[in-house]
Amino acid sequence: MKSKVITILWPLAFGIALILAWQFGLFHKVLDLKPFQLPVPSEIASTLAANLPKALKDCGVTISGALVGMIIGSLMGFMIAAIATFFPKWGYGGMIVVTALNAVPIVALSPIMNLWFSTGMEQKIAVVTVVCMAAMAINGYSGLNNINPYSIDLMHSVAASEWTIFKKLRFPNSLPYIFTASKINIASSIIAAIISEYFAASTSGLGFGIKDNLRKAEMAMGWSYIVVASLAGVILYCVILLVERDALKWHASQK
Amino acid sequence: MSVAIGKREQRIVAIVWVIGIIVVWELASFLLKYVIQDPMASAKLPYPHIVAMTFVENWKILLEAGLVTFSRAAIGFALGSSVGILLAVLMSLSKTMERIAFPYLIVSQMIPVLGLAPIIFNIVRDMNVSRIMIAAYITFFPVAVNMLSGLKSVEQEKKDLLFSIASSKFKVYQKLMLPFSMSYLFTGLKIAAPMAVTASILVDMLGSKSGIGVKILYSLYSNSSNIFWASVLTSAFMGIISFYVVVFAERLCLPWQKATPRKEGVRA
Amino acid sequence: MNAPEIQIKNVSMVYPVNNGQDIVALTDVNLDIQEGEFISLLGPSGCGKTTLLRIIADLNQPTAGSVAIRGQSPRDIRMQRKYGIVFQNPVLYDWRTVRRNICMPMEIMGIPKKERTARINRVLELVGLQDFGDKYPFELSGGMQQRVGIARALALDPEFLFMDEPFSALDEFTREKLNEDLLSIWSKAKKTVIFVTHNIPESVFLSDRVVVLSPHPGRISAIVDINLPRPRENSIRETPEFYEYVTKIRRSFEGV
Repeated sequence: MKSKVITILWPLAFGIALILAWQFGLFHKVLDLKPFQLPVPSEIASTLAANLPKALKDCGVTISGALVGMIIGSLMGFMIAAIATFFPKWGYGGMIVVTALNAVPIVALSPIMNLWFSTGMEQKIAVVTVVCMAAMAINGYSGLNNINPYSIDLMHSVAASEWTIFKKLRFPNSLPYIFTASKINIASSIIAAIISEYFAASTSGLGFGIKDNLRKAEMAMGWSYIVVASLAGVILYCVILLVERDALKWHASQK
Repeated sequence: MSVAIGKREQRIVAIVWVIGIIVVWELASFLLKYVIQDPMASAKLPYPHIVAMTFVENWKILLEAGLVTFSRAAIGFALGSSVGILLAVLMSLSKTMERIAFPYLIVSQMIPVLGLAPIIFNIVRDMNVSRIMIAAYITFFPVAVNMLSGLKSVEQEKKDLLFSIASSKFKVYQKLMLPFSMSYLFTGLKIAAPMAVTASILVDMLGSKSGIGVKILYSLYSNSSNIFWASVLTSAFMGIISFYVVVFAERLCLPWQKATPRKEGVRA
Repeated sequence: MNAPEIQIKNVSMVYPVNNGQDIVALTDVNLDIQEGEFISLLGPSGCGKTTLLRIIADLNQPTAGSVAIRGQSPRDIRMQRKYGIVFQNPVLYDWRTVRRNICMPMEIMGIPKKERTARINRVLELVGLQDFGDKYPFELSGGMQQRVGIARALALDPEFLFMDEPFSALDEFTREKLNEDLLSIWSKAKKTVIFVTHNIPESVFLSDRVVVLSPHPGRISAIVDINLPRPRENSIRETPEFYEYVTKIRRSFEGV
């Protein structure tokens, strides 16, 4: 019990100390900044409170785009992984290509998507889809293939078809990997959505809000958008964690 | 891996894939232009051979711009890695330190760091510094988490062995903990390297005067779609190259890894 | 008889468990070990034999009782680097070749380079790995890896050798071969050896005395003197005397 309290208290104390130091100008002194360059927490909070409906609406636009893109991308990524698993020889080469694609900077994608899609939402979803696809394909492929060889031998010993092996062995085995990919994708989908909004034709969303407010030198507003985006990310991350805990009761990482 | 395929065969498969992608791309461009008759076809999906030719014609400018972006990314990458390694070592040394820092490490990843780019740029007002800072920030997380997971994965018996000959804490880290975590560290570095390049490109696009990101934006606005595509391709190559540089460095540094390379890393 | 080299007095070890039912790994263990003796700690898993060895080696602290080694505490002995230890796993460092694995503890102890090289050559020959010095661990078989672990302990030229089920992961053929090798090494060096095992023939073959432990709670249930002639070779396993010892020890388990 005691250790549990300490586990929460220490980081909490640290966080409060950090916010206080920020509030009372320590960072400004150390980094030699003016208050208009780096607004203090209380200012960010009051700005956020004053503009909460608009911030939430923008957040909704970004997050919904990020989520839709993430779902489409994850499904496509897992399908790629599954196809690569069924055709091992060519699939392995395909996975090398996907690994290379994973290293492609997402920023480079958003202008291309601007050319292909006309509305901001479509562009956003397209960018997020591509970004999430790679991570899911790579992790899913490891999950479908990092299998104890004896388990496969056991399946073969009862003359199981490839499809049965996939259903009964490969897919359950890949679940922990899928959750790992989902946790990665939550963070990267929000970032990708925001970045695509920087460059897209959007007139709403967190990315647009950040850019627009900075252009208008409304630093506090820009920061409050960052706060909203982070909170949304943390909440979604926690949701994934909860689902994972429920779905993976058998896995060692949950103990 | 469930299938054992020879190195030679692997290479052939990969080459066929690359050729296949180029052919499909050529075909798609053709379809877009002549079958669907999209008026924007040459901008939306130009022929790969035309992009390649543009690349060859402009390789000097593209390379120069790429180098500017790449070098800043590399500095940030080095900086972020060092801080990440240092923090991981501190966290493994002190339980309290880990308690304080670890939750923030996870939360920090949820902060859309690249979203912070314009804000940081607004604060520092210096292209190179903000490029380096953001690249460093983004490198820092995967490196710290993977390094820490490596330091924590050292088997108890290996530590017992050093304990049994009364070695100092410093020696334990020097001889056991640090070399052991190397493969975990490289997993982190492999994840971080393309991210550092991404960060650097993004800062380019937010109002820099040089770098490959600027080339992308300018060519986009000035409707020179061939240059645009060549620039995008350059930046894609930069990401891929950064990844393989780390892979190469790993092979060089960890020759004992050949037998059982670690496949997955900790990313979140 | 001289004063015992290692004196274990009333040692108990209790692991606290959250649900209140603490696990008693060892209770009130008393044992004297003489200089140059080869002692086996034998018992089924959960009898606390490994825990007892780890207490002697100062890797665990007993909850009650004390251990004196030449009148000193285990911690003093450890700080003076007087013992070598071999674990159940070879515990090799993947990034070091065989030679450099053996070298590692000596580096830490600050033994000069020339001396290190000489010792490495000597122990490599002792364990029969002269030709494998520059291989990495992953290039060796399990038996060879375990030999490296033994060579590393021997290279320190320790006064005590502690071995925690060193051969339990090996197949029977390799195990018997290494048993014989271990005895021939021991007969040359005459260290005091504490050897943990769950294999009855192995303990009989190797030891001067077999200390039988039984679980729940871990305690010494019998001490059997093995009066087989030395030097012993594997052929001794076929003699009636050997068989008698094995049977006697096996019966002592059935009694509990």
